[in-house]
Amino acid sequence: MVRLLKAELRKLWTIWSTYLLFGIVILIDVAFSFGLAFAPRGRRGGKAGIVPHGSAQWFSNVFSVLDNSRLLALVLGVLIITGEYRHKTVTPTFLAEPRRGRVVSSKLGVAFGGGIALGVVTMLTGLIVGFVLVGLKVHSCLAPAGVSQGMSEALCNAHHGVYYVATTHAMWHDWSRIAPGVVLGTGLFAIYGVGLGALLKNQIVAIVVGLIFTLVVETIITAIWPTIGEYLPGQAATALEDAARTTFRGGSTQLLPWWGGALMVLAYGVALALVGTFTTLRTDIT
Amino acid sequence: MPAIQARGLTKRFGAAVLAVDHLDFDALPGGVTGFLGPNGAGKTTTLRMLLGLVSPTSGSVRIDGHDYRDLPNPTMLVGAVLEASGFHPARTARNHLKVIATMAGIAFSRVDECLDLVGLSEAGDRAVGGFSMGMRQRLDLARALLGKPDILVLDEPANGLDPQGIAWLRDFLKWYASEGAERSGGGRIVIVSSHLLSEAQLIVDDVIVLAGGRLAAQGKLQDLLAGTKRSVRVRTPDAERLLEALRAANLPAALRDGFVVCDCSTPEAVGPIMVENRIEVHEMVSSTESLESLFFELTGGEGMHPGHAAGLMGDYRQFTDGPSATSAPAPAAAPPTGSVGGP
Repeated sequence: MVRLLKAELRKLWTIWSTYLLFGIVILIDVAFSFGLAFAPRGRRGGKAGIVPHGSAQWFSNVFSVLDNSRLLALVLGVLIITGEYRHKTVTPTFLAEPRRGRVVSSKLGVAFGGGIALGVVTMLTGLIVGFVLVGLKVHSCLAPAGVSQGMSEALCNAHHGVYYVATTHAMWHDWSRIAPGVVLGTGLFAIYGVGLGALLKNQIVAIVVGLIFTLVVETIITAIWPTIGEYLPGQAATALEDAARTTFRGGSTQLLPWWGGALMVLAYGVALALVGTFTTLRTDIT
Repeated sequence: MPAIQARGLTKRFGAAVLAVDHLDFDALPGGVTGFLGPNGAGKTTTLRMLLGLVSPTSGSVRIDGHDYRDLPNPTMLVGAVLEASGFHPARTARNHLKVIATMAGIAFSRVDECLDLVGLSEAGDRAVGGFSMGMRQRLDLARALLGKPDILVLDEPANGLDPQGIAWLRDFLKWYASEGAERSGGGRIVIVSSHLLSEAQLIVDDVIVLAGGRLAAQGKLQDLLAGTKRSVRVRTPDAERLLEALRAANLPAALRDGFVVCDCSTPEAVGPIMVENRIEVHEMVSSTESLESLFFELTGGEGMHPGHAAGLMGDYRQFTDGPSATSAPAPAAAPPTGSVGGP
């Protein structure tokens, strides 16, 4: 099993599409975090009007895009399993390990690791963007009258410094509350992706179904029946984020406890993978 | 003790297609076994059942008494070359082999050895996407050889190889089959499926002939060929006189494609008649009835008229065999890919 995990990992880092996926995640994180920093309102609602720089609401905006990386983790999971069928590498794979369930299990394991890595990259990107954004803040600094030029500059610098330290401290606090949930969420969503891929086998179909279900179907169901919605994978993953409850939502949306959410997403991934292993993956490789 | 054994092996695809129908065969160690049959005879399906990729509808095919799917690390016992796809285009050849080596717990030094063996060491760090068909075929062979398996299974391995490649493969397979098995000392098993019959004739020791998913013949190639007839072909400007002379000597003969074709066992029967009648000879070829003719006999021509096929094959044989062949399977130049058209 260790050999299989190592082989699956090697499959992942010997093709450029993996790096491309990580690149896309960084690009999206940077673009949206910057964009939302200057947006008049939070992505998840909030009050009208410009959000004050450095406020809790402002950080919520900046970091709110980061948990969307789990969609790309889902794509990663789908690619890990459907790529084998697309390029027919499934033939040498099953020749070397004919017990197909073991192959799928090792893919689930590597997908979880890959998803975690994607989550870590995403959170680090968010943190760097945050530091840059706080540093970019331009203060008008009026020194008191009767103070020398040098003294005035020193006062201004001190003012900036205090602002920077205080604000980044607040940011760090917010970030560290979100980070574990986002990272666990991407890891679990990659497992969910492997499950979808195992069941649907076709790469494009699995990606489209995964994204549309998460972005559209789940949203509609959650809006109409929140009690059902909270058990769906996307909402279950959102429950992982402490901040989702306290900051973004103001406790208005129904969510499972974080551990319940984690178990739900894991259950979706493993159940789909099991069904896939006993149906789709049992078929003949011709 | 046969190491590969199929008993009642049957595969049905849907209700309509019976690809393999109650097939029994044994593949024996110590030689190359040819797996022959026209398109759709069930060759590939049978090999894929042997390799655990396709599940039999009923019956079994076992390796040393085990299903392939129950082998703990099959890479070390069985190497298989199937159709030359199954590569991620962006992955390099070396990494492709390293993935499989990792799965089987094989040291990476063996990866370089295998790349060397198939002549791909210089292309090892290139992405497979840019490989030619022949290079992919060789890379697939390198993968199959990673575990130094005692059983080698190849499905149409000559596809995509150039004449040099085919000649190389022929020598390689003969050498590989003759190598002592490290496992038991009982010799190795090499199974090659092919539709290039004249090529197969040069490699194989045993043949298993399939037709319509059923076993048409099985045995030593020599034994199977021994019972078949031979003919002598003569190109001469005096065709009419030669035909008369042959018939006068009670040798059945006919004019075909500009050749006088005599159903006689050896050229020795025809030569004296031509000398006696002072017939000018431009060319004389003894066509030992080959695997091809045997094949058409066994498989019923499969939609192609046997006589017509023999004619086509005859021209081809003249090109490859050279004029002096008088004994059974003659060594021949490797045929260009695709020049033998099965039906």
